[in-house]
Amino acid sequence: MIGKTAVDNSLSNSVEKKSAIETKPKRKVSIPKILIYTVLIVMAIVCFIPFLMMLVNATRSNEAILSGFTLLPGSAIVENYQTMMSYINIWAGFKNSLIISVLVTLLSGYFSALTAYGFAFYVFKGKNAMFVFMLVMMMVPGQLGLIGFYELCKNLGILDTYIPLIIPAAASPFVVFFLRQYILTTLHPSLIEAARIDGASEFKIFHTIAIPIMMPAIATMSIFTFIGSWNNYIMPLVVLFSPEKFTLPVLMGFLKGSQVAQNLGSMYLGIAISVVPIMVAFLFLSKYIVNSISAGSIKE
Amino acid sequence: MKNLNRYGYFFIAPFWLVFLVFSIYPVALTFYYSFTNYTGSGEAQLVGLANYKRLLTDTYFVEAFFNTWKIWGVNFALQMGLALILAMIFSDMRVKLKGIAFFRAIFYLPNLITISSVALLFGILLDWQHGSLNMMLMKVGIISDPINWLNEPTSAQLSISLILTWMWFGHSFIVVMAGVSGISKDYYEAALIDGANRWQTFSKITIPLLKPILLYIMITSLIGGLQLFDLPMLLTDGIGSPDGSLNTMVLYLYNQAFKYNNYGYAAAVAYGLFVITLIFSAFIFKGMYGKERKQPRQV
Amino acid sequence: MKRKLSIFLVSILLVGLFAGCSSDSKTSGNGKKDVDLRIWSFTDELKKPIKTFEEKNGVKVELTIVPIADYPTKLKPVLESGVGAPDVFTGEIAFLKQWVDAGYWENLSEKPYNADKLSDKYVPYVFDLGKDKDGDVRALSWQTTPGGIYYKRSIAKEVLGTDDPTQVGEMMSSMDKVFEVAEKMKSKGYSMFPDEGAIRWFTQGDNPQPWVNDKNELQLTEEKMEYMDYSKKLRDNQYTALAPEWSPSWFEGMDKPIKVKEGGKEKETQVFSYVLPTWGLHSVLKTNVKESVGDWAVTSGPSPYFWGGTWLGVYNKSDNKELAYKFVKMMTQDDEFLTSWSKETGDVLSYLPVTETIKDDFSDKFLGGQNNYQFFLDQSTKITPGIVTKYDQQLDTLYGNAVQQYVTGKKSKKEAIKEFYQKAQNAYPDIKVPKK
Repeated sequence: MIGKTAVDNSLSNSVEKKSAIETKPKRKVSIPKILIYTVLIVMAIVCFIPFLMMLVNATRSNEAILSGFTLLPGSAIVENYQTMMSYINIWAGFKNSLIISVLVTLLSGYFSALTAYGFAFYVFKGKNAMFVFMLVMMMVPGQLGLIGFYELCKNLGILDTYIPLIIPAAASPFVVFFLRQYILTTLHPSLIEAARIDGASEFKIFHTIAIPIMMPAIATMSIFTFIGSWNNYIMPLVVLFSPEKFTLPVLMGFLKGSQVAQNLGSMYLGIAISVVPIMVAFLFLSKYIVNSISAGSIKE
Repeated sequence: MKNLNRYGYFFIAPFWLVFLVFSIYPVALTFYYSFTNYTGSGEAQLVGLANYKRLLTDTYFVEAFFNTWKIWGVNFALQMGLALILAMIFSDMRVKLKGIAFFRAIFYLPNLITISSVALLFGILLDWQHGSLNMMLMKVGIISDPINWLNEPTSAQLSISLILTWMWFGHSFIVVMAGVSGISKDYYEAALIDGANRWQTFSKITIPLLKPILLYIMITSLIGGLQLFDLPMLLTDGIGSPDGSLNTMVLYLYNQAFKYNNYGYAAAVAYGLFVITLIFSAFIFKGMYGKERKQPRQV
Repeated sequence: MKRKLSIFLVSILLVGLFAGCSSDSKTSGNGKKDVDLRIWSFTDELKKPIKTFEEKNGVKVELTIVPIADYPTKLKPVLESGVGAPDVFTGEIAFLKQWVDAGYWENLSEKPYNADKLSDKYVPYVFDLGKDKDGDVRALSWQTTPGGIYYKRSIAKEVLGTDDPTQVGEMMSSMDKVFEVAEKMKSKGYSMFPDEGAIRWFTQGDNPQPWVNDKNELQLTEEKMEYMDYSKKLRDNQYTALAPEWSPSWFEGMDKPIKVKEGGKEKETQVFSYVLPTWGLHSVLKTNVKESVGDWAVTSGPSPYFWGGTWLGVYNKSDNKELAYKFVKMMTQDDEFLTSWSKETGDVLSYLPVTETIKDDFSDKFLGGQNNYQFFLDQSTKITPGIVTKYDQQLDTLYGNAVQQYVTGKKSKKEAIKEFYQKAQNAYPDIKVPKK
């Protein structure tokens, strides 16, 4: 790491010298940098404000929320929590959501990598047709598939279980598409050839060579998959019946009282409880991914 | 050399098994419904091509088509522009910005907030009489009378585009960065040594190498964008006000199916939308790969 | 680094699997058996009654609340297939008509329920709405939801010279009279209504007709067309505070003056009245008003109307119909329960044996001691039964849309009506729409 940075620095220094000689406008590096940071921070604030509002609203009473937005926290957080817990056991929902989302993420990550690798590095009959067909299927709007999906689950006897929420993740066309695109740019076939000559089996090559190279892409997609599954509302709503199996977004529905007098404060608290852990995990995971990328590139 | 290509089937088999059962079956059922007068419950009667005939002469569907394109197009241009500029800045070895993990996470935040909260928030910000936006503009003196943003077709559509950009530019940025991080640093170092400037590095190295990823973003954004639905539904009255300007294709489909119970016709609308998406995706593929179609890699 | 990541992932997987197994075993162990009755609804209002019911009968009831926007989506496939379905479920007025005809609810006119016998014990329009197209009772309701105009007594006294509900009601007994009052309000700097949408409940006028009649024809009555002009007049003459229903300013206007920006000027105005039904008092006004408690009263508008309401019935594939109907019975016919329910919540009941005994000594502090119960019961008898159709909610939205186009000056009256016809036809290809 250290060695690398030193090389970079010396490189960029030499370039700075060069550009100072060759290009006319002589700029100090720090001024555009400050400018860039300012812009980035303004953008960050714009992105953060609604999030903050959500957190603030979690501490405010229903009437206070209805009378408008503010960034000053209220004092109703304990009441909101009590109201919420009198309707739902949010921690049970948390556990259910976590189980589903983790399994979905793992399934989707592994099988998509498998499929993407299959599409990218083998030549077989019907390959292109199948790939195109997969892409084409992504274009049919899903809203109408719901009734058919329900019928299917009924016939398979898997209603009110997590199976219809988890297993379909093994077929995620978007992730397959992305991973295929990614591995085409990053993995050179000669690497596979070399491994074959060393006598490695096809699945071993996949597990020891392809997966590590795809890891940053898998991790990126995993974040999206996890969040998508975590926030998924309509599927668990339709498929699950037993309240003890409900996921977080479905439980949020319980909090909506009548149309007019909603328990807005507790809803925001519920949403905040469900979002903040993802946020934190994302912040850490995201850093981790960056590190693993640079770590990987040093070795080669 | 023995033929290893049959392994390809093993690799893709699990995917197809699950895909066939859970995705294709429901979608095929929808296709069947598009030839019926199904109402979402009870028995369905076959009506032949009636739904498709109606679709071809449906002015509201045409209206929805253009609305969707306008809203998505503006959003896509802005979102990609932002994502690429950010990627260019963060991947620039000369600037060496710190805190990429932090900014990446923060920029992604709007995507984490449930869409109903987003709609609620912007509904309040854009409110005609009491919205913060109008109050600010009036205080600064840019306008003297409040603008009813969500009551004018153009500004309503533009509002949706901007909200979408706000929600999705972080996502695109992350995907672009994932692609950038897959590019070997050697290219950049070579470029630095050759004295390439920022723009040259970006346009001659980053963009061409990112082509597969950019294709991915374009296709998925197109597919997602043409299925735009919840924001327009939540931000005004749910049937496309003002003056039908927020009537998008999937909103139209949704209303036909779940509000008016014309399930069979909605299925036909779904397939109309499907054909449209297909055509435009084909154009994108052609545009990106048309001239230099790569041979499939041989093993 | 990589090893760490994989250890991390594997441990998540293990935790996930472990948690998954444990939760599975738990649910399969004490799954469906220990619940005697399943009830689905879209609000939490049944929570308390269910508790009472559990204590009375020593049973366990499970209530599932689904937000109203997703309620039909969730319910439809379940009721169609009967898998995981509730024993009792409620229906809101917006989809009631569709559901009574869909055959999901048990026919209560048959034995052993014999609900027909109950007909004269209910407010007629409420009982009527629970019947299917063959006249069989499918669902019952405990409440009636007629509407009125809630107004501020202090403003009425200042501008109209009286705050007596009967006299104020007399001053607003027709649309023309409403405009006279509005003009007086405006001259003193008050706003008659929060926004022009408030008068939509009076569109029927003296001629209540269903949107779609027996011959499947769309009916846009003269009265409904006139409503367009009334709305425009409210807007053009600046009689309202431009605060749309359910918006923050709409809530704010109940208690304090709100700012209105119009024609390049900003003024502060107080809203005189809100058009709301029975439940508007408890779930809207009382929860939002702090300062003006006691300064309110309710009176009648130009024509009677009702807004909302919850019906409930027994699912016809339920395997516990007896207990299910027992619950329906408690909610709709139990004297003791209903008396305490209405005293506790202020809900106006549709079950006459109870209302007869409690209506006389009702008085609400919030309304300055007025007997709102008596008032609403009187209103509920004036409602014409049989004008509700399954098209109402969507056609109301489409028509409201057309009115809005006209009010904001985007379209002429003729164009707006033409567009309404087109959209109605597009939504419901089977109904006959006037060609104009």
